Amino acid sequence: MDNKTQADTNRNHQSKWTLRNIILIALIAIFTGIIFWGAGFLYTALTVALTPIGGAPFANDLLMGLWCMAGPLTGFVVRTFGSAFVGEFLGAAVEVFLGGQWGAGAFISGIVQGIGSELGFTFTGYKRYDWVSLNASIFTTVVVTFAWDMIKNGYNKFGIPLLIALFITRYISTFIFGGVLTKMIVKLLDRSNAFSL
Amino acid sequence: MNPGLKLLLVMAIALEISFTQSLIVNIILVVVSFGYILIQRVSLKALLGLIFWPLFPAIGLFVSQWLYGSAGIHFAWILFTRIYAYVFLGATFTLTSSITDLALTLEQDFRLPSKFAYGVLAAFNLMPKINEEVKIIKTSALMRGEALHFWSPKLYFKAILSSIQWSQNLAEAMTSHGFVEDQERTHYRVIKITGLDWFWFIGLFACVQGLLFFIRY
Repeated sequence: MDNKTQADTNRNHQSKWTLRNIILIALIAIFTGIIFWGAGFLYTALTVALTPIGGAPFANDLLMGLWCMAGPLTGFVVRTFGSAFVGEFLGAAVEVFLGGQWGAGAFISGIVQGIGSELGFTFTGYKRYDWVSLNASIFTTVVVTFAWDMIKNGYNKFGIPLLIALFITRYISTFIFGGVLTKMIVKLLDRSNAFSL
Repeated sequence: MNPGLKLLLVMAIALEISFTQSLIVNIILVVVSFGYILIQRVSLKALLGLIFWPLFPAIGLFVSQWLYGSAGIHFAWILFTRIYAYVFLGATFTLTSSITDLALTLEQDFRLPSKFAYGVLAAFNLMPKINEEVKIIKTSALMRGEALHFWSPKLYFKAILSSIQWSQNLAEAMTSHGFVEDQERTHYRVIKITGLDWFWFIGLFACVQGLLFFIRY
């Protein structure tokens, strides 16, 4: 990312919770929700492929980054407290209403993932919107969602080697989708001056 | 039942069974929710989908826990039934409540600021149009010989540009229809939480507490 122009746009860009921004966050969340919905077969296919060797949790962790993309995206577009959380939560809610495989669990996952995304921006004080804050958000997302899966999906009953493998898988996935891909999207938005619209 | 309270109840129970480990309570929740859905006369296709699709993650979790977990097969069954409990609990809400009613009750009874309730509702009502838009973006890229996938930054970029434009239009449209942010509103359709709603909410929640307390298996 071109740091200089990035810094300039950052300074001029602080968002508020206006009606327009709320609609914007919801729309982005729905868009990403629908795009992942199209990739839903991937999860099922991966799960089917990995189940015979007992590796189904890896399907979950491989795709975790994809499910956690709405948070960083809305956090970057609407730069204010809570936008990443609301975006991520609504993204999960979309899946529920489309009739996802997770039912009520997705609402709670949405809250957990939202807190994860949001914390990264909180730690950087909603001041910087760059590679550092994005990485902070990735880190908090991975840690928070993993802690949740320890309880919800019974990861706490697995041995340490398997846990480490799952954690690394999740980190890579979140880094690629929540980090690299988000950064590329933000760069495109930056170049088109979309942030000042 | 009031959709806001129903959502709260469903989420509270789902959260609770994530932390507790009772196979029988999970099964009871599945059976009761399933019965409730049956009474509501949902389509057979939706019902079969509810049973079929969660089978993959449920079996996946079951097998991995069975092979590598330290807690044995009983815990594997808990995870299996937990998935179904989530799905059927969620379905009791999504198959029987409308998003509009939820937004109205969240605004009127749960004191959610009206700009959130109506803003998110406006966006959700565009869902079919958003579905179309994703197809349009993909098709127009194909015409230029470019295939966009879920990992293509351009797909999201264009989706966000559409979102920016639509959000502006929607917000202006709402303003021109007399919507004022942070202003007290009167309501054409009043949704109240009745005594009966509270009775069901507290009663069902208490039932689950009782079950979880007494049935530990």
